[in-house]
Amino acid sequence: MSSIYLLIPLSLLLLGVGAWAFFWAVNNDQFDDLDAPARSVLDDDPQAEVNPSSAGPAQSR
Amino acid sequence: MNAISPTLAAGHWSSETAGEGHAVFNAEGIHCANCARSIRTGLEALPGLRRVDINVVDRRVSVVWDTARLNLASILAKVAALGFKPVPLVGERAVAAQRLERRTALKRTGLAGLGAMQLMMYAVGLYAGAFSGMDPALAEFLRWTCLVIATPVLFYSGAPILRGAYDDLRRRVLGMDVTVALALILAFVASVVNTIRNVGEVYFDSVAMFIFFLSLGRYVEMRGRHQSANVTEALARALPETVQRLDSTLTTPSRIPLGEVVVGDRLRIGSGQVVPVDGLVVQNVALLDESLVTGESAPVTRTVGAALLGGSVNAGAAFAMEVTRLPQDSTLHGLVRLLERAQGERPRLGLAAERMASWFVVRVLLLTAVVGIGWYFVDPSRAFPALLAVLVATCPCALSLATPVAIAAATSHLAKLGVLVLRADAVEGLATIDRVMLDKTGTLTAGTPKVLRCATRAGVEPARALALAAALEAGSTHPIAAAFRPHADPTLHCHDAREIAGAGIEGRIEDQRYRIGRASFALEGTGDASHRGTLEGVVIADARGWLADFRIADELRGEARATLDALRALGITPALASGDRHEAVDFVATQLAISEAAARLSPEDKLAMLKRSQQAGHRVLMIGDGINDGPVLAAADVSMAMGRGSPIAHAAGDLLLLRDSLAALPQSIEVARRALAIVRQNLRWAAAYNLAAIPLAALGLMPPWVAAIGMSLSSLVVVFNARRIAAPNGGH
Repeated sequence: MSSIYLLIPLSLLLLGVGAWAFFWAVNNDQFDDLDAPARSVLDDDPQAEVNPSSAGPAQSR
Repeated sequence: MNAISPTLAAGHWSSETAGEGHAVFNAEGIHCANCARSIRTGLEALPGLRRVDINVVDRRVSVVWDTARLNLASILAKVAALGFKPVPLVGERAVAAQRLERRTALKRTGLAGLGAMQLMMYAVGLYAGAFSGMDPALAEFLRWTCLVIATPVLFYSGAPILRGAYDDLRRRVLGMDVTVALALILAFVASVVNTIRNVGEVYFDSVAMFIFFLSLGRYVEMRGRHQSANVTEALARALPETVQRLDSTLTTPSRIPLGEVVVGDRLRIGSGQVVPVDGLVVQNVALLDESLVTGESAPVTRTVGAALLGGSVNAGAAFAMEVTRLPQDSTLHGLVRLLERAQGERPRLGLAAERMASWFVVRVLLLTAVVGIGWYFVDPSRAFPALLAVLVATCPCALSLATPVAIAAATSHLAKLGVLVLRADAVEGLATIDRVMLDKTGTLTAGTPKVLRCATRAGVEPARALALAAALEAGSTHPIAAAFRPHADPTLHCHDAREIAGAGIEGRIEDQRYRIGRASFALEGTGDASHRGTLEGVVIADARGWLADFRIADELRGEARATLDALRALGITPALASGDRHEAVDFVATQLAISEAAARLSPEDKLAMLKRSQQAGHRVLMIGDGINDGPVLAAADVSMAMGRGSPIAHAAGDLLLLRDSLAALPQSIEVARRALAIVRQNLRWAAAYNLAAIPLAALGLMPPWVAAIGMSLSSLVVVFNARRIAAPNGGH
């Protein structure tokens, strides 16, 4: 029964780790946009659009 | 609290016209009717303040003040002194503030959730131990562990509630937070005392659970609020800070701030850039995405000379434009202002619910005291749990949330359909109409009339007659003028054009006097009286007599038929009220099977027709172009203005149809009806819950933790129920 005096502090520690991980995730943009990342695989590869012959640079000259 | 710099105050917060300042801002920290009331009372005490409107759901405060006696900085300082934090509505700061608010709320909710889970596990252990005889030392250890977890939950996750209650008390009002905080503090303090004394019950699990569910409800409600604010913010954020002005040869651009743009300037709009103000295309063909201003998702092409709406995005190659309206008069700005005004207003429905909630708070506190005293005489050991349960279970959170969340959800859904809600009561009004009165020109018809037939006097070339008519009508804004525009001859110019309202136009072309208009006007003084009775259309005449008789008609909108059928299916009778000729109105009415159609109505006649309908017990939606129909729109139960092509900022409607189409109308009415049904459902549910919970809690049949779950779930049900408005078929 005395093991519980070790296990309960351990569960507290785990709670602390869980809370810290959650706070870290929130602070690092993990919950800011829950929809767009799921769709991002469907978007075109941005590198394919970078084309030196496009109108952009020509107009800025 | 950051000091608000005067430059910021002048630039981003407010506008001033004729000695009157207007500003709309968010006040962080508003969460109930009483907060709103204290801001109102506080601000109204300032000398020179003319009006305050506060929307609890959006936390928007809109103020109007006399610039000679008051300035914005002192208003904002006053709001801050009352314990709220004023934040600008639009721009980067607002977005950052929103993100911070969202993240903090999420962290608070998360911590409360984790803590509540853990505490419930220990609580189960303690309950089970109490029955099967637990080692008292272990029980004591568990209670201390609970205390360790519950303390950060109360003081971090519960901080907004405690803070809200503190502010309420300091302002001497009784808000919802007061009862909640009272319950939390009582439960927590009693638990701490019992832990130290090592006897009796602890309620740490109830405290954490209550905080978790409350934070969750507020978090969900906050997300909805941020979403509905996004429409306005997307509009306002769209504007660039600088623009590229072109010189007279349209070649070299120079960067100037948007504020320095004047009418007549020529601007270069690069690919992907936003058209900053209203104007005309002057070079190249523009391919534009107008979804921001009109909701129309398909790109549109505008050729040289065509009008551009500020806020559209250049989806094609670079082009040059000429500025026709200053930024502050442009469509986009007008829209933002209208929306801000609407969001600063409080709907009647919401006001009633708020009053009910604050009335409730006082009763809850009285009842709690009565229950506590009653139990003290019956069974002192059960007095505290019963008192706590009453306090928690009867908090009228659900009651005060019921209406605003539903209205906010409906507003943001309507915006997606291209219908802007400009008055707070419009959703309720739209839901209850059973009759719609439509204008013809520009509403049921496309508003671009065409010349269908041209009968000329012997010897007059039809093309010549059309060109003369086009020259005469060139300066006119009357819808008829548009019919002649395609027939214009650039070599013909009209001088001394004079428009006689309701009759026609008189002018000189190549030193000849011409008149165009109704036969009676055109032939006046020509001596050509013989034709007066036979000419029916628009007549052009020179000094000798008539030249041509044009038959002009306006085409029906493609979607008009389907829209009216859909309206009838909703039980709404359409009626047609037009200022146009009998035959034109009859033609449209027959095609659309409208039985009640009236022609040749002056605005006063339309008003009378509307009043008759209302006296017969109908609730009428009036749809018009928003300018000429002003008084009629204002008198109708709800009004909708067609936004396209009119100076939006002056539109008089309660609702604004952004797209140049009626197709969204039936769907909007369905959304409004659904919203109203949900408001009623929510109110019934909240009232039923509170009425059922009070006796149970007062009789001691409901332990505090059940009360916490019950109260929180009733709020969550209300919030999630409102989200159904956006997903009618249970989501797809």
